[in-house]
Amino acid sequence: MVTELETAVPVTVLTGYLGAGKTTLLNRILTHEHGKKVAVIVNEFGEVGIDNQLVIDTDEEIFEMNNGCICCTVRGDLIRMIGNLMKRRDRFDHIVIETTGLADPAPVIQTFFMDEDVQSLTSLDAVVTVVDAKHIAQHWEADEAQEQIAFADVILLNKIDLISVAELDELEKKIRSMNAMAKIYRTRDAQIEMDALLGVKAFDLDRALEIDPNFLGEDAHEHDETVTSVAIVESGEVDGNQLNTWLSHLLRYQGQDIFRMKGILNIAGEDNRFVFQGVHMLFDGKPDRLWKPNETRKNELVFIGRNLDETALREDFRACLVPTQS
Amino acid sequence: MFSTNAKLRSLFELRHQSSLSNYVTRVAWSPIGKGFAVCSAAGEILLYSMKTFESVVLQTETGCSIDSLAFSYDGQFLAAGGQSGEVNIWQFKPKPELIQTFKNRSAWIDQLQWSPTQNDLAFSLGKTVQIWDAESREIVTTLLFGDSSVSQIVWHPGGESISLGGYQGIKIWMTNHWDDDPYHLIVPSASVAVAWSPSGRYVASGNLDRTINVLEWGNPDPWMMSGFPGKVRQLAWSDRSIRNNAPLLASASAESIVVWEKHEDEAIGWESRVLGSHEGVVQGLCFQPDTTLLASASEDGSIVLWWQATSMTQVLEGVSDGFSCLAWHPQGSYLIAGGEQGELLIWGQSSRGQGFKRR
Repeated sequence: MVTELETAVPVTVLTGYLGAGKTTLLNRILTHEHGKKVAVIVNEFGEVGIDNQLVIDTDEEIFEMNNGCICCTVRGDLIRMIGNLMKRRDRFDHIVIETTGLADPAPVIQTFFMDEDVQSLTSLDAVVTVVDAKHIAQHWEADEAQEQIAFADVILLNKIDLISVAELDELEKKIRSMNAMAKIYRTRDAQIEMDALLGVKAFDLDRALEIDPNFLGEDAHEHDETVTSVAIVESGEVDGNQLNTWLSHLLRYQGQDIFRMKGILNIAGEDNRFVFQGVHMLFDGKPDRLWKPNETRKNELVFIGRNLDETALREDFRACLVPTQS
Repeated sequence: MFSTNAKLRSLFELRHQSSLSNYVTRVAWSPIGKGFAVCSAAGEILLYSMKTFESVVLQTETGCSIDSLAFSYDGQFLAAGGQSGEVNIWQFKPKPELIQTFKNRSAWIDQLQWSPTQNDLAFSLGKTVQIWDAESREIVTTLLFGDSSVSQIVWHPGGESISLGGYQGIKIWMTNHWDDDPYHLIVPSASVAVAWSPSGRYVASGNLDRTINVLEWGNPDPWMMSGFPGKVRQLAWSDRSIRNNAPLLASASAESIVVWEKHEDEAIGWESRVLGSHEGVVQGLCFQPDTTLLASASEDGSIVLWWQATSMTQVLEGVSDGFSCLAWHPQGSYLIAGGEQGELLIWGQSSRGQGFKRR
């Protein structure tokens, strides 16, 4: 296992609407002097104007397993291409997958949880979404646009030179209400430090959960979008069994609408933090490091999804807390 | 390492060792057995003669991998395809001469196979497969698989049909009626391995959802085997049987190998036995022609020979990382394997082993 982790190639998934600046960013990644050899899997070959042996074109192939269960949907083309690419792992040390503007990011991400080869050979680094600050307003109604933001770990608010600062602040606030976890960068021509883009380790459970303090502090979240984030921060100890029952039930009945979730928990009777993440119905969790002696033990959870019932989530979580004796 | 207590014997011994610059993607024997071809992820193609083990470079490193390589049934042609989207076909006159190149769009040509009865070549082109006739030098037909890229191309051993595997299962076209709709063996996930029994009676599909389907040709109800630890990525049929006149079906999934044998009693169906486990994913699985000796090559850097597809009789090693592929000589007298670091090893039947076998 140790060797697998050491040799696993990090993968960045790049999403965003057509014209948002994905290709500009991709070209930047390919030409940037960051010392990394990057292989790129693209779905829109015509767009990349770079002649490079490590730019590989595939057509999106959605494989449904288990009678169409949404969490068992993977990308067959990625399984095949990553398998082919990994025979030459000496030639690159990072993979970037560019999806089409209309692609649902879920099957791409699920491929990294579901397929045994992809899982053992690579590690999902981050989902990066490029947003066209000027034109996103025209796309808000589209599920894909909302989902690409909901699934993101890193969001580039691109083309900021085309709108006013006030509009930009408003847009950022709106995006923040949809996704409370992502790092948001304001960019022109997709100019961003490569360190903020590659090697982010957003799917690494050992990486701390970062909820934007502004999101937690805001009194009034915008709720005109169906995609929202719910962040729960509670002190106290969680009853492990009750939590398990609640989460199983939640994922079973609302997993379709929960795009991502992440959390750090203080489980009763445990000296270690418990960390978890989820994508739709797929759940991944493990005991983390020990709570430090001077650390305030608490629980932090973030859910990103469609039509989330914030009140119910909070109440159901509180019901999992061990009653304090007073 | 292995959970069997079989007696080890030396059936095969190392005859030759060589190397390519990168991951060996495929080895292919000439059907007449006088030599073989090997290709790598760096794009090399080499031809080896069995007499001298001397090699001829057919193509040097290009940087684009060669992923598929096959000789025609009569050994007259060799075809290769890969990342560049090109299919190259050489004819032996007797020196190899490049006679045809197909240049396609950017789709990788990761599957190509010659008909076992005539010089027809099938090669994948994304969601379709083209059939090229080497005699007329024309594309005879284009088969639309449709549901996904084609992951497997397998001809019926009698050349009667061709089977394409991919998402939703296997589609089978009859070669004398290309325009008829294909027979569809439906799999609720995707087929990743396809194999016909040498008699042409059974076709098996190893699937992404950890199952196997076996169809007896003409019988509409396939068998389904399940309970594998991972996707079923390798399948091999023996051409001999141990009992009941039924061939053996060997299957590999993750590190494990399961051998299936059909029971006389139809109600019982197929019985299985699990062979001792490798410590890495099994990358190659083949029966020695005319016997039930099974060879399995693994990422763990070992090849195991399984006597009667049951007990481990010999372990072959010699790569620094893992094995990537293997192939038996058409008469079973040699075994070649390729490695992840470009190693190429050739073993021949040992005289000691043969003496032992006769006793």
